[in-house]
This record gives sequence, C-alpha cells and structure tokens, in this order.
Amino acid sequence: MSGSNSKNKARSKKQEGWEEAGGEFYQELYPGGEQELFDNLQRADAAKLATLLPSKQARNTTTVKRARSQNERRQSTYARTTQSRDIHLSMLPDLSENLSNEERTWEEIMQIKAMPVPMNQKRELKARLQNATKLRLQGFEQLQWRQRKVWHRFSIRFSEIVGKLELWQSPMREIEGKFGTGVVSYFLFLRWLLFLNLAISVIIILFMILPKTLLHEIHYPCEDYEQNSTICCSNYYMTKNLTDSNVFFDVIQGTGWMERTILFYGVYTDQIYSYYIANLFQSELYYNMPMAYILVAISWVLLSLIAIVKTAARGFKERLVENEGQFYKYCNLVFGGWDFCIHNDKSAKIKHKGIYNEVKGYLEEEKINEERQLRTRESQILIYFKRLLVNIVVFVILIASGVLIYFTFNYSTDKLNEDTSKFSENLNEVHVENSNQSHTEKFTLRLYKEGGLFFGQLENTLLEFLPFICIVVLNIIVPEIFSYLIKFESYTPAYVLFITLLRTVLLRLSSLAVLLSQMYTYVRDNRFVCSYNNNDPSKLDCWETYVGQQLYKLILTDFAVQFVTTFFINLPRAFVARHTNSRCFKMIGEQDFYLPKHVLDIVYTQTIIWMGSFFCPFLPIIGTIFYFLIFYIKKFTCLTNCTPSPVVYKASKSKSLFMSVLLLGFIVSIAPVAYSVAEIFPSVNCGPFRGYGNVWEFVVQTFEGFPFVIREFIFRLGTSTFAVPAFAVLLFFLYYYWAVAAANRHMVTVLKNQLVLEGHDKQFLLNRLSAFIRQHQKRCERRNRASFADDDSIRQSSR
Amino acid sequence: MGQGKSQFTEEELQDYEDLTYFTKKEVLYAHQKFKALAPEKVGHNKNAKLPMTKVLQYPELRVNPFRDRICKVFSSSNDGDCTFEDFLDMMSVFSEMAPKAVKAEHAFRIFDFDGDDMIGVSDLREVIERLCGPELKLSDSEIQQLVQNVLEEADLDDDGALSFAEFEHIIDKSSDFCHAFRIRL
Repeated sequence: MSGSNSKNKARSKKQEGWEEAGGEFYQELYPGGEQELFDNLQRADAAKLATLLPSKQARNTTTVKRARSQNERRQSTYARTTQSRDIHLSMLPDLSENLSNEERTWEEIMQIKAMPVPMNQKRELKARLQNATKLRLQGFEQLQWRQRKVWHRFSIRFSEIVGKLELWQSPMREIEGKFGTGVVSYFLFLRWLLFLNLAISVIIILFMILPKTLLHEIHYPCEDYEQNSTICCSNYYMTKNLTDSNVFFDVIQGTGWMERTILFYGVYTDQIYSYYIANLFQSELYYNMPMAYILVAISWVLLSLIAIVKTAARGFKERLVENEGQFYKYCNLVFGGWDFCIHNDKSAKIKHKGIYNEVKGYLEEEKINEERQLRTRESQILIYFKRLLVNIVVFVILIASGVLIYFTFNYSTDKLNEDTSKFSENLNEVHVENSNQSHTEKFTLRLYKEGGLFFGQLENTLLEFLPFICIVVLNIIVPEIFSYLIKFESYTPAYVLFITLLRTVLLRLSSLAVLLSQMYTYVRDNRFVCSYNNNDPSKLDCWETYVGQQLYKLILTDFAVQFVTTFFINLPRAFVARHTNSRCFKMIGEQDFYLPKHVLDIVYTQTIIWMGSFFCPFLPIIGTIFYFLIFYIKKFTCLTNCTPSPVVYKASKSKSLFMSVLLLGFIVSIAPVAYSVAEIFPSVNCGPFRGYGNVWEFVVQTFEGFPFVIREFIFRLGTSTFAVPAFAVLLFFLYYYWAVAAANRHMVTVLKNQLVLEGHDKQFLLNRLSAFIRQHQKRCERRNRASFADDDSIRQSSR
Repeated sequence: MGQGKSQFTEEELQDYEDLTYFTKKEVLYAHQKFKALAPEKVGHNKNAKLPMTKVLQYPELRVNPFRDRICKVFSSSNDGDCTFEDFLDMMSVFSEMAPKAVKAEHAFRIFDFDGDDMIGVSDLREVIERLCGPELKLSDSEIQQLVQNVLEEADLDDDGALSFAEFEHIIDKSSDFCHAFRIRL
C-alpha cells in the first residue's frame, strides 16, 4: 500500500520537475545565455574549445547522479559552480524555490557530502537548505520520515560500534601501511576464517557440548546373555582401564584420559536424553543426541559452503568484470597502482620498486608474447622439452613424498603395536613385582620403572608423531624445490604464481590423502571389535576417536611447526640479515612475505579442521584458538621477519585466489568425511551411531519416522518425474542467460565502435569550428582596423 | 579528546557530520591529527590555514607520489595550503565510507596535472613517472609504450586523452581502486 503510494508520488514529482525544467533548461546550462557562450567561443583558442562542450561542463554531475536520479537539473548547476571556483557563491542557484518538504531537504543535505566543493561552500549550501521555507510533513509521512531519520542515526552509531569492536584494527593498519592492500587482504582472510570457525564452534558448543555436559545419561546394566549388544560393548569400553601415563603426553596425543572427554566422537551417547525443566514445562522433554550430532555436522558443512560460495561469488563477479577488460590491466596499474595508505618511507620505496617491476614485467610479457610468435622451432621444442622434464620431476617428487609418508606411517604403527604389546607385558610385570616386594624397595623400583616409562613414552610419542612430522617437513622442503625448478620453465610471471600454488596444493592434499588412505586401511583391518571380550591392544575400540586423534595430532604438529619456524628459524635469519653486511649472510637471512605460501598454511589448517570435525567435535574450537594465535604469528612474520615482497599483490586478485584454494580444500576434506558417513560401519563400542550399519542409515530411519505427506513429498523430489523436467527448466534458463550475455557482448562492441565514430565526429566538428572562429576573428580584426581607419579619417576631416 | 571538543560547538560538529563521511567522534579525531601537524598554530585557531609543507608532514601524504596534487585539489584557496576544513574534506573522500564515484571524481582531478579536464598524454607520463619514484626511471620508449597501452585500453572515443567519463568507466571496472584510494584516519 505505502509502496505504491510512494511510487506514485515519486513519479508525479519527477513529472513536475521536468515540466519546470523544460523552459529553463538551456538558460540554466549556459547561464550567461547566447552572448556569453559566444564571448567564450571568441576568447577560446582552438585547443581549449573542447572544454566548453556541454559534456565537459556537466561532468561533475556524474558523481552525484549516481546517488539519485531526481533533480538532475539542479545538480548540473551545482556542478558548474565547482567547475570554476571563481564564480561567486551568489551564483549558486536558489535551492529553496521548489523544495517540497522536510524529507526532501534532509535528503538533499545528506547528498551534499558527495559534492566536490570545499567545506565552506557545503556549509553555505546546507544553511541555505535548512533556512529555506519548506512544507512540514503531515501525519503518517511525518512518522515515516522520523523513522528514517532515527534509522539513519542508528545505523551510523551501529557501524561506529561495530567498527570499534572490529578485531585487530590497528595491526591491520600497520600492515597496510607497510605492505599494501594485497597483504592486508590475506590478514582479512585469516580473520574471516577465524570468524567462520567461531560460528561453527558456537553451533557445536550449543547443540552438542552443552547438552552432553548438562544432561544425564542413563546407564543400562550389561546382561551377560547378550555379550555382543551395543550396551555391553560400550559399557566395557567406557569402564576399561586406561593405561596410566604422563598428562602432558596425553594432552598432545589425545590419548589416555583425553580420549574419554568431549573432545572426541567416542563419548557422545546414542541415547535420547530426557529431562525436566521444573518450572517451565510440566511434561518430560527430549533431546535426541544422535540426531543433534548429525544435524550439527550437516549444518556446519552447509554453513562453510554458503560462506565460501557467498564470498567467492562476490570475488567472482569482480573478476568477471575485470576479465571482460583483461585489457584494463595497464589502467589498473597506473590509476590504482599506488596504495594511498602507505605511510613509511621504506615501504614507499619498495612500492615504487614494485610498480616499476610490474610495469617492466607487463612490457616484457608483451615482448615475450611477440617473441613467442617469432620463436624458432628448435627453441620452442627445447622449451617444451624442458617443461615436460620438469613436470616429470615434479610428479616423481609428489609420488616420492607420498610413498615416504606411507612408509613412515606403516613404520610408526608397526613399532607402536610392538611397543604396546611389550608395554602391557611390562606393566603386568610391574604389578606382579609390586605385590611381592617390601615397601621401600617397591618405591625405588617404581621410580626407576617410571623413569623408564617416561622415556618409553617419549619414544612412543615421537613415533606417534612421526608421520605428521614427516608431512610437515615435506610441506616445508618440497615447495622450495618446486620454486627452484620453475625457473627453468620460462612461464609468464602470473602463470608462475598459479602453477607453483597448484603444485604446492597438490603436494599438501596428496600427503593428506595418503595419510587418510593409510588410516582407512588400518581402520578396516582393526575394527568391528566389541570391547567386551577384546584383549588385543592393537585392535581399535573406537575407530572414529582414533581418526579424530590422528587429525588432532596433525593440527597440533602443524601449529607447532609454524610457531617454531617463525620464532626459532626465521627470526634468527631476519636478525642475521639485519645486522650483517656480508652478502652471503644476507642471502640466507632475507625473506620476503611470499603470500601463496602463507595462504596455503592457513587453508591447510582449515582443511584439517573440516576433515576432523566430525570425529573430533572440539577441533573447530581448537581451530578458533589457533587462528587467533596464528594471526599474531603471521603478523610477527610479516612485520618483523620479512621485508615487503617485490611482487605486487593485488587485493582483488589474491582474494579470489584464496577463495578458490579454500573451496578446493573444502571439497577434498568433506569428501572422505561424507564417504565415512555413508559407507563405513560405525564402531559398536562408542559414539552416537553404535549399532547402525552406517551413519546415514540413522538419517534414513529418522526420515521414515516423518509424517506420510512430507515423506512422500521428499520422495517425489527424487524421482525422475520431477527431476527430468526440473533439469530441462534449468537448462532452458541457462541457455536463456547465455543468449542474453552473448547479445550484450555484441551490443558492447557495437556501442564501442559507435563511440569511436562519435569521437571522430566531435574532433572533426571542433576543428571546423576553430577554423571558423579563427576566420571570424581575422575578419573582425580587419573590420576593426578598417573602422579605426574610418574613425581616423573622419576625425581628420572634422578637424 | 576533551580538549578537542572545547574547540568546536555542537552545531559545527553536526555540520561536519552531515557534510562528510565521518561521525562526530571521527571528526574530532581528525582534528587531533590535524593539530598534531602544527600544535601551537591550530591550538590558537582551530581552522588555521597550514602551508602545504606542513600538511605534507602527514605520514600517508609524505610518501605519496601525488602529494602536492592532493593538497592542491583539496585546498580551498587552490594553492595547496589547507585549512582544517580542507583537511577534513580530504580525509572524508579518502575514508572507507566514501562511494567509488566520489573517489573517482577526486582522483581524476588529482591526475589531471594541467587542469584541462582531460587526462592527456602529458598527464599520463607524469603519473607514470611519479609512480615509479624518483630513483627508478623508465626509458622514454617504455613510457611511450605504456601510455599508448593505457590509451588503447581506455580511450574509447579515440581522441588521445581520457575524459572524465572514460576515466570513470575504468574506475568502475577496477575493483582495486577503492582499496587503494583510501587513507585510514
């Protein structure tokens, strides 16, 4: 109702505006009228003629036009005053004449800030607008306007508060000042990931951890006649004696007492909690834990996906616009090249250098492209051969690192299994001995044994971590090799960035894949064991917890390595570089902030988090904490260890790059989780899905409990009667948009050509006009001279 | 900040808030920054006119290759000397809240060295030379090449110079411009 009302109003206003405008239009545009224009023409020399064109006169309007389309006429008058500042303020149009009401005035005042005029003129304008007579709004409209004003003020205050709460504002500013916007966009990305993890953590805490800690599980007794029931198995699992060991090792390995905490999948129950809230509800309330578990998992997957896609789509749109002008790269460089936020001399110098390099790079690239066409057959073949060779080497390295991880994993699990069997024997011995000896002897012996135990544990821990250390070390060394190899391939600089990134991503993901497949085979061989009568320590009681532990360890290692490399390797390097003049040391010590590597670091962490969140629900919380710390680590790396990179990173380009890498990581991490949910038999002893064939079976069962209508509806969605037409409609839409896009593209080229023609026309006409003016001036002069001569003769004759 | 507040009336602050992309607090903060450039002068007269050399002490401006142009564009007396109001205008345009179109408008004037309302070949050369800094010099043919490339990309009507419309068109397509053309207060 109100919408249509206001629309009508707007239309009528516009019409009024146009009617009024009609008569005065030309006068407004050329204030002095014909005479002034002509004077201007006379005064102008041919070259300056172009500045008198209407399009030039009104150019400032475009700024304001964007903000609102109404009142075009008035804006053009503002604009002109700005054009020639010397025009006195009295030339400003009398704005009050057709102001309709308070709301309009207010809008106008809000628009003033967009005008390119100095402050005193703005203030004058504002005062004029405020003092002008205006209609008061009545009734409902008044209310609406008031609301708008309040809303406006509120949104300003709100953004102020949000701005104050914004995390890490001043570090960002510092980084921006030193490194430019490209690097800051990396830190923004880091912050974005932090918030994503925070959101996931909140979901998990609210719907899984809180219910788990607050509500009470019912313990069913295990009946002897059905020893393989889930109740018996899990009872046994939960009460089984844990190997007593050092707290520290337990914490970093996620074993021992840690295993039975809310950190891991294993402790979550398969029961439906029932509880009372005494004062609020009379009846019993239920909380279905397995349901909550799967729903939480689904919701964080969806949340991450939506967040990525939304952010990526924005970047994609920008990229698309830019891609349409692949040819705008020079303009971008020239007009958007300088980061105005840079505020210290050193970074400014580096920025100058960066821009210089980029200019050179672009020009060289062009040259290379030209050369490529001229390249001789032999050299071309040579380059292709080199590339082939390098690619083979890269491939071999990738496979080799995969194999290395495979063997270390096998080695460590084998060793560990041996150890655990020995270890349990040892323990038994200790117990036996303990019971036989006198008190003091027992004590010394225990000390001794414990010392041995400690070292044994240390060794165990090292073995446990061996595969992860191997992975992380590979992640550090191999990219260096890649970046060395790529020099032989003579790609263009942009492509070099892309291909190194791709290779490094492949390395990281393949190492993860090997680890996962190893875990998978291990789990496949060692599960299905009911803990009730399982005494074989190499068998897994709860494979989900096991997987969770592995990923937990991986993320810890990853974090530790980042910490150590930053503070114990790179910091001394930077120190050496700063305090030495020797060239050799400088080469060792100097590091630039190589963005892709750091992006990979955090994306990798996120990939692990996604992979492990189902098995270790605490992982996002740990991730949140880690990201918080990583920010400071990276900031330290950036500000203290590194010098700004000579490569110029563009904010928009790097942002879309981050997102695509993250999306890749997401897919790679979710796929195995989805597989395990859909296919792998859940442990009998633990977790919310004990007793089901697979996790998905639980979902299907729940689905079958739905009312008939909903079930039928969802079922129909899956059948071909629905899917085929839907697919056809989607195809149709796709085709339609494709056709529209093609037509628009065609239109753009046509218009561009037309524009060029118009430009030529304009130049032609201007030339003619200036020639004409020159002629006219000459004629005038001649006439003047003639008239002077006449005057003279008259005067003479009069004398 | 209490001291800063005493220098402005509530009315003035309201004006500034309405006429810039800042809130009142930010205006006061901007004034602090301005005052830091010349404490005794601004302490006497809150809207004192500072000579360009003083204004260029502002860290972001000091290293900016277009510093003198920026001052000239925003100076109400057109000679580069800035009052606080000019400074506020400047910061408002460079702030995060200012829309792209407003930024583009001022950028155009900054890059238009000779003031003929067109970014011509000479303007482009100047921009490029300033971008590369005082120490690194591109060869003449390289600059020539670059200018030609820029014009090829952006000069839609083929008249050898960029008009504002053409400039705005480029800025519209450049997603980095908004990030780059920004000075945090």
